[in-house]
Amino acid sequence: MSASSDSIELYADDPEWADIEPVRQYENPNPLAPIFYTEEYRDATDYFRGVVKKGDMSPRVLDLTEKIIRLNPAHYSAWQYRYKVLLALKSPLDLELRLMDELAVKFLKTYQVWHHRRLLISHPQLSSSKSSSFYLTAELRFIAKCLVVDSKNYHTWSYRQWLLSNFFSGGERGKEEEEVWKKEMEWIEQMIEEDVRNNSVWHHRFFVVFQSGIRVGDEDREVVRRREIDFAKDKISLAPSNPSAWNYLRGVLDNNNLPYSDLSIFVRPYAQARSPDAEADEVIDLENPSPSKGAQLPCVPAIEFLADVYESGKSRDDIEKAAQLWKSLANEYDTIRKKYWEYRIKEALEVLPA
Amino acid sequence: MTSDSELLVPLHVAYIKSLGENKDDLVYHMTAHLRLNAIYWGLTALCIMNQKEALDREEMIGFVMSCWDDEAGGFGAHPDHDAHILATLSAIQILVIQDALDRIDIPRVVKFILSLQQPSGVFAGDSFGEVDTRFSYCAVNALSLLGKLSELDVEKTVAYIRSCKNFDGGFGACIGAESHAGQVFVCVAALAILDRLDEVDHETLAWWLAERQLPNGGLNGRPEKLEDVCYSFWVLSALSILQKLSWIDSDKLSSFILSAQDPDSGGIADRPGDMVDVFHTLFGVAALSLLGYPGLVDLDPVYCMPASVIEAKGLRKSWQALERRSK
Repeated sequence: MSASSDSIELYADDPEWADIEPVRQYENPNPLAPIFYTEEYRDATDYFRGVVKKGDMSPRVLDLTEKIIRLNPAHYSAWQYRYKVLLALKSPLDLELRLMDELAVKFLKTYQVWHHRRLLISHPQLSSSKSSSFYLTAELRFIAKCLVVDSKNYHTWSYRQWLLSNFFSGGERGKEEEEVWKKEMEWIEQMIEEDVRNNSVWHHRFFVVFQSGIRVGDEDREVVRRREIDFAKDKISLAPSNPSAWNYLRGVLDNNNLPYSDLSIFVRPYAQARSPDAEADEVIDLENPSPSKGAQLPCVPAIEFLADVYESGKSRDDIEKAAQLWKSLANEYDTIRKKYWEYRIKEALEVLPA
Repeated sequence: MTSDSELLVPLHVAYIKSLGENKDDLVYHMTAHLRLNAIYWGLTALCIMNQKEALDREEMIGFVMSCWDDEAGGFGAHPDHDAHILATLSAIQILVIQDALDRIDIPRVVKFILSLQQPSGVFAGDSFGEVDTRFSYCAVNALSLLGKLSELDVEKTVAYIRSCKNFDGGFGACIGAESHAGQVFVCVAALAILDRLDEVDHETLAWWLAERQLPNGGLNGRPEKLEDVCYSFWVLSALSILQKLSWIDSDKLSSFILSAQDPDSGGIADRPGDMVDVFHTLFGVAALSLLGYPGLVDLDPVYCMPASVIEAKGLRKSWQALERRSK
């Protein structure tokens, strides 16, 4: 016990903190906790409670709250109080951001890390300063770096979406905004290149293209629609069973009220087993890329898509073809969702005249 | 029978009872910010296993009241913690289950909750300002349990949830954020309480939820992510509210949840072989209740509380679970 006690510094032993009365969380009959880490954490939080009680806003509280956050980043009161102290001391918030760079990477999954950054970057000291563009684009770069470590982190992505819509969507930043969005699309391409199955990037692409205003150069929406459909087709051909790309394709069609039947030529080869001699005499159709070699065919999302195309045809023949496809999903290709496919069959057949 | 095929009720009850006993434990201190939530998770799990009495009622109510933050007018997660909407909902849920709502100053709590609504319609968790559709659900659920929904600006609340709806039919945590099964649950349940399920694209969303089931039976929270027991509850509760629970392969999901039990010391983990915790224990048991697992008590998926409690308050919505099996 003594060895470990020597190696950590307790606030209880520090004369600089003698004016603070530590507030214990519980009456504890056995103060000698077996893990010195616990002792360190308890000591720090005891002094934190003392600080809050006294209303102490001195610089040393920044050290104390940093220590607690490093031991337990989910301690939201420590974060909250830290922010208050930063403001009270008029601390340079850009330095705080840089300190946060380290903590964010360390505690990527903790919401508070990201919320603290939101508060910092929104504060007029940064967001209204002459260097605001510098801080904001540095944030975008920093987020991209974090996503290299954890490419699907929910907090990181929503922080990026928040930054883009709050600071780069009003038109106040003129040319610079154009530049940011252009780079955003290039970065998205690169992220999808790295992992075509990352649903978070697909979602982000939809957000950028369809949900956050219209970019310079994207005013012709017909061109944009075509570009996005081609993009999705191209990525589907690389990994035909990737649900994210199919959902994206459906999203683009639904969002623009386009019929699924527009894509039946493209979808058909994905919804059937590969014929052994098909590849040799295949004609390259740039608009309708065929499944990559070695891809498992048929794939579930394509069968489902094709069935939807048939169902929209509404004739008895069409519905029966759709039902045939759903049956193959229920009994062979997607048996775990058997009940769902049976439901689709029942619903579709019910509307047919007897 | 092996642990793979049977819910180990006595072990889980013992596990939950043991949680409050070792206050010297490091984990106890590190999770102080979730203490009140943990008690709600434990109590609800016990109720679903028909063992409500396993934890002492008076002691529990005493602890809840010791978390009251008199300055803010809400509950913190632990004595001396700042009031937060997550802890406030847990406190209200515990007091409702224990029939002790008369202990609190309802008008003050209502005032605290309403003070967290932002101009956009979303709720913040506390005065620190984190916003999330999760907190909108907490506010709606809590106000409903307190019988004070009439004081809420429903249009504004619904408008924010609507703005979080995505192209795949799902909902995210805030505007622009990706669909996530947990966020889908909170948005759908909040809309159910507000009788505004017309905002949901039922077929697209129910399909997206059914798509969360993986070949091993478990459910994930987003496409191409790992399965996790807690999504069993979030996906199933949303599907029950949309009356499409039958789309899930119930046998496979039940086996997956049961395989994540600790057969020696009780409790359920996020997936087989991991450390158990009370959060996953509740959501595993809750999901099994919705799937009609024999011997369990009915759970209300909208409020995540015993169905009988919600029915007694006249708050039941038109959700549908699977029929309870006799064995």
